[in-house]
Amino acid sequence: MPKATPRTKASTVKLPPALETIARSVIETKLPNGLKIRLVPNDSVPTCSYYTFFKVGARNERPGITGISHLFEHMMFNGAKKYGPGMFDKVLESNGGTSNAYTSNDLTVYYEDFMAEALETVIDLESDRMRSLAVTPKLLESERQVVMEERRLRVDNEIAGMMDEELGALVYKAHPYRWPVIGWMRDIENISREDCLEYFRTFYAPNNATVYLAGDFDPKHALALLKKYYGSIKAGPPAPPVLDAEPEQKGERRADVHHPAQAHSLMIAWRGPKGDDRDTFVLDVVQYALSVGQSSRLNKRLVYELEVAVGVSVDWTWRFDPGTFTIGLELKPGGRPAEAEAALYAELERLAKDGIDARELEKAKNNLAATLMRELATNSGRAHALGTYELMLGDWRRGLALPSAYESITGEDVKRAVQKYLGKERRNVVTLVPTNGAEA
Amino acid sequence: MKTTKTPARADAPLKLRPLHLPPHEKRKLGNGLMLHLVPRGALPLVAVRLVMRGGSVWDPAGRAGVADFAARLFRRGAGGRTADELSEAIDFVGAALGGYANEENVVVSLSCPSKHLEAMFELMGQVLLSPDFPDNEIELARRRTLAQLQNELDDPGALAERAWARAMWGTHPYGHETLGQKRSIASLTRDDLIDFHRTRLGPMLGHLYVVGDIDVDRVTTVAERIFGGWKGGPEFAPLVPDWAGPDRAGQVIIVDKPEQTQVQVRIGAEGVKRGHPDHFPLTVMNAVLGGGFTSRLIREIRVKRGLSYGASSSWDMMGAAGTFLLASFTKTESINELIDVALGEVRKMRTKGPTVVETETMKRYITGLYPARLETNEALAGAVADVQHYGLPEDWISGYRDRVRAVTARDAAVAAQKHLFDDKRVIVLVGNASSLAPKVERYGPVSVVKPAELE
Repeated sequence: MPKATPRTKASTVKLPPALETIARSVIETKLPNGLKIRLVPNDSVPTCSYYTFFKVGARNERPGITGISHLFEHMMFNGAKKYGPGMFDKVLESNGGTSNAYTSNDLTVYYEDFMAEALETVIDLESDRMRSLAVTPKLLESERQVVMEERRLRVDNEIAGMMDEELGALVYKAHPYRWPVIGWMRDIENISREDCLEYFRTFYAPNNATVYLAGDFDPKHALALLKKYYGSIKAGPPAPPVLDAEPEQKGERRADVHHPAQAHSLMIAWRGPKGDDRDTFVLDVVQYALSVGQSSRLNKRLVYELEVAVGVSVDWTWRFDPGTFTIGLELKPGGRPAEAEAALYAELERLAKDGIDARELEKAKNNLAATLMRELATNSGRAHALGTYELMLGDWRRGLALPSAYESITGEDVKRAVQKYLGKERRNVVTLVPTNGAEA
Repeated sequence: MKTTKTPARADAPLKLRPLHLPPHEKRKLGNGLMLHLVPRGALPLVAVRLVMRGGSVWDPAGRAGVADFAARLFRRGAGGRTADELSEAIDFVGAALGGYANEENVVVSLSCPSKHLEAMFELMGQVLLSPDFPDNEIELARRRTLAQLQNELDDPGALAERAWARAMWGTHPYGHETLGQKRSIASLTRDDLIDFHRTRLGPMLGHLYVVGDIDVDRVTTVAERIFGGWKGGPEFAPLVPDWAGPDRAGQVIIVDKPEQTQVQVRIGAEGVKRGHPDHFPLTVMNAVLGGGFTSRLIREIRVKRGLSYGASSSWDMMGAAGTFLLASFTKTESINELIDVALGEVRKMRTKGPTVVETETMKRYITGLYPARLETNEALAGAVADVQHYGLPEDWISGYRDRVRAVTARDAAVAAQKHLFDDKRVIVLVGNASSLAPKVERYGPVSVVKPAELE
């Protein structure tokens, strides 16, 4: 990840007491093989949460094997050297635990929640599959079918999934964010066992991973176990860098998706800054001002006053390379998309012209601070949030210091960011056109 | 692996670390409103919910959906403040406040940073006690709700749930939400909403749960000031009538969405009501059948055959009746294989029960993770409220893991035999009806409905 932005030293930032307590509790270390370890002890409930972040996702793929990150994530549950096929979940569940995983454009993340007594078992299970995953032809074929069914569920038979896929290909011409995380159907069908093995060697080395353990455990004991089980796994060569060759967008791009539906809907996106850019936080504020709460600008204007939409959503997910700021508009049956678009653009122009006043700025900051607090309310939430902040921003401390980062944002910043990122020339619009006759 | 395959290990007594539950204090106000105060937490957050028995079950004929519609309007104008003024005040401090109704309860919930609790409590009082139901907000909500109801017909999963609930409940009040809601929402008047608020809500059936970073005495004082003058309403909620079991037992219902390449599948049958003596054997048994990721359904449907990405089963236990639901999905061509495997697994479980190893495995799974289910203020408030509303034993939460631990494979087998369906089940499919109908006739009489019939 690029280290471009100079950052405030964590020690100079004053944290609110609850966050200061969490910050003080974190113990961090790195094994000689490069595995980063973060411990976040807390005995409020007798359970733990264990996260393994691998710095690999759809961003690291290439045409022909799109979706391999996600297919591979499934294969991680299908057996390694010590714990064979089917054993991972069996052993975990019989020890009072459960697991899951997800793949994003940038990351592949595995996690377990479990009763405190099962810590060693979990470390054993996780280190086993990092050390010696087995990819058997039979299980790969069966898992491929499962993933194809998942794709049918989330994309081929789901309108939002179809639109999102179209949108990615519209916003990005050169960058791997162009293809969907689940991959194109034909690529899923064609990924080979050799592709999987090469992928494992390239990206699943300890030096490409970060482990977070949060919950009820003794740090000394946990650290000893982590060293014992992970210590002998060999480091791999550094993962190949990903080039961001995305050209500047020079005009609005539009696409239609024709499909049976009750009403039109819209997904409109702009390419924003990188996750660790200060403007990312400014767009967080913009996102909240636009869409969080019934008093937010788009809810108030588009849903309650003009009634050109029955629902609005704004997604601004931080990514390593410039990600997308996406606005979704759900229209009512018979609603006209041009009207909804015009109302939306008028709101964005208002922001670009006037920015936001001190009170609205404070409202967004209050909500962002409350969201952070809620994220940190569980062991799983703490491990996930701190890990994600570390991967995205380079340091978990920057995540806990977010409230003060937001504090420094001004109405002028908002105005400038909206002008810079959310203009007409950089817009990408996907329209769902209903095909059942009534609307088309 | 040794850890799961040898009965010796699986039978070994499971020692559990103690569960440190925060104190739960009950205080009753003069008007009958019961406060449940649970101080806890290192984080400056509070969860509040006011729960009243008065949900859609008690919606009168022709007024289906009135409880939920009215409850959602509480915060769109109350105590002389407009919707915009209320929303601005709530949103400004990073709080969430709103009302809704489910089958059994009307709920007003609040989540906020603790330093704003008193101010938000004031608003919660206004929203609950003096909603204005402004005409323009009623019309706006009506238009929006009807549009959302219609748009939901594009979601195969949501369609399946609606068709399933209707096929299960028939005209029983638990099915109110799926019966003629469109017509009823279109005709609700302001008087209907006022009438609902006056006759179905009141302090005597209200319980106020406050969980999080609080001072119990301070909260009591404030609650007394805000809610102490609340009067009227019913003394108790009328009983929910008994249920005779699935309305369309033995039948197959297809919701026709010709463009689908995948079929959503829901199989339903009668279950048990909340607090049933077989609760724990059924919970453990279901975890083996379709609960965790090593369940029989996942193993047979996903792992062995690659038929689906997901397959699960669950008991939904409500106050007067309960249901059993098996849910999955697969590509159209595999529909018979999926249904046959699913029905086969239910039959096998009903006739033979789970093995000892399976039972012990799932007992560890459930007990080990139970504390994590109470981690947030919202989750703990929900658990405490369930104990109250379903009349469960006082030690339900603290004794939960011990009750799970006491279940034997034999108990689970007996419960499976008694409660899992044989032929009294409903099958609901959402997909391409012309391809599906000939394939599924063998499971019972098939009827095809259009999505629009489910609005």
